Amino acid sequence: MIFREVEDRDLIARARRGNVDAYNLLVSRWEKKIFNYLLRLTGNREDALDLSQDVFLKAYQNLARLDDVDRFSSWLFRIAHNEAYSLLRKNRPEGELVGDVVTAESSGRLFPIELTLAVDSALKRLSDDQREAVLLKVYQGFKFDEMAEILSCPVSTVKSRLYTALDLLKQTLAPVSASARGPKNVLNENLRGVE
Amino acid sequence: MNCSSLDLKAYIVGEASAAERQQVESHAAACAGCREELASLALTRDSLLMMRDEEVPRRIAFVSDQVFAPRWWQRVWRSGPQLGFASAAMLSAALLVHAFVRPMPASAPSLSAPQISQAQIEKEVDARVDLAVAKAVAASQAQQLSKTAELLQTAEQRYDSERRTEMAAVAGNLDILYKQVARSYAANNQLTGGQ
Repeated sequence: MIFREVEDRDLIARARRGNVDAYNLLVSRWEKKIFNYLLRLTGNREDALDLSQDVFLKAYQNLARLDDVDRFSSWLFRIAHNEAYSLLRKNRPEGELVGDVVTAESSGRLFPIELTLAVDSALKRLSDDQREAVLLKVYQGFKFDEMAEILSCPVSTVKSRLYTALDLLKQTLAPVSASARGPKNVLNENLRGVE
Repeated sequence: MNCSSLDLKAYIVGEASAAERQQVESHAAACAGCREELASLALTRDSLLMMRDEEVPRRIAFVSDQVFAPRWWQRVWRSGPQLGFASAAMLSAALLVHAFVRPMPASAPSLSAPQISQAQIEKEVDARVDLAVAKAVAASQAQQLSKTAELLQTAEQRYDSERRTEMAAVAGNLDILYKQVARSYAANNQLTGGQ
């Protein structure tokens, strides 16, 4: 991780001097994370791809304004957050469910499809704010203070959104997870034992 | 230790300090309710992590654009080595100009032999430079290919390892949950006298 951060810093320095190849390399490192974050936030692949382009273009144009290169990731996600919310506000009222479905077919064929679909569906039932808190913490691994910086809100708000989301997800996912076929179907074995 | 004073969600999402983690673990060892809550939260988190990132449908890349690229003098000014090279080039040019425009001595030797010799030297130098450049490019490309292959292999190994770890974690959590359900059934059967 440290090695990677050092390399990012070097690429940022070169990109600031106008080296487009260095910036393209930086993009190739982060595009998948940004694209998936935007995909799960907007629920639409085309929107996510367009927004990803916009995010990296804005980042390039404003690279000189990045004060602390070690905080490049949270700075980049902050741009992505702003871009996504501009679109969400334009396209649909606050809190409305996301329309498109991120199908299980394209995400995780190795795992039980029922569970993947349930996760997808459960995430869509959250509000935009709650879903974004889950995306930043569970999928991107940001700390609470970094999330607060990205979302421009206090840490207490970040925690509140995340904890509410986890409670809602737990209600939906725990029963499904328990009934999904795991590597060992212990439940069925145990149930047979007590019948 | 009061159950409500513990932040189980912070523990699950990796935000608890070492002391807080120890508090939660020692409390959960003695409190069935908190143990069950922790198991459900872990199951929820692991279910969320089953959603795999999608590949970006199209690569995002930038080409050199005059609108965004700094001007040539800005690039030179910001780069120490380039600035040094430019200074050396200007000094060489000044020396050459001085050599060609200075008055020739009255008894200058015949120019035919030195001219032929100079042309040959220039041709030989050009050929050697071309060869050196071609070698350097080939070496750079080979190094890049090797590095890419190595990175790919490392990434695949890491992905495989992460997948196995997550599968093991999910299986473990499912195991715990299934056993709890089985115990509940058994207890229920005992209470109802096996009816």
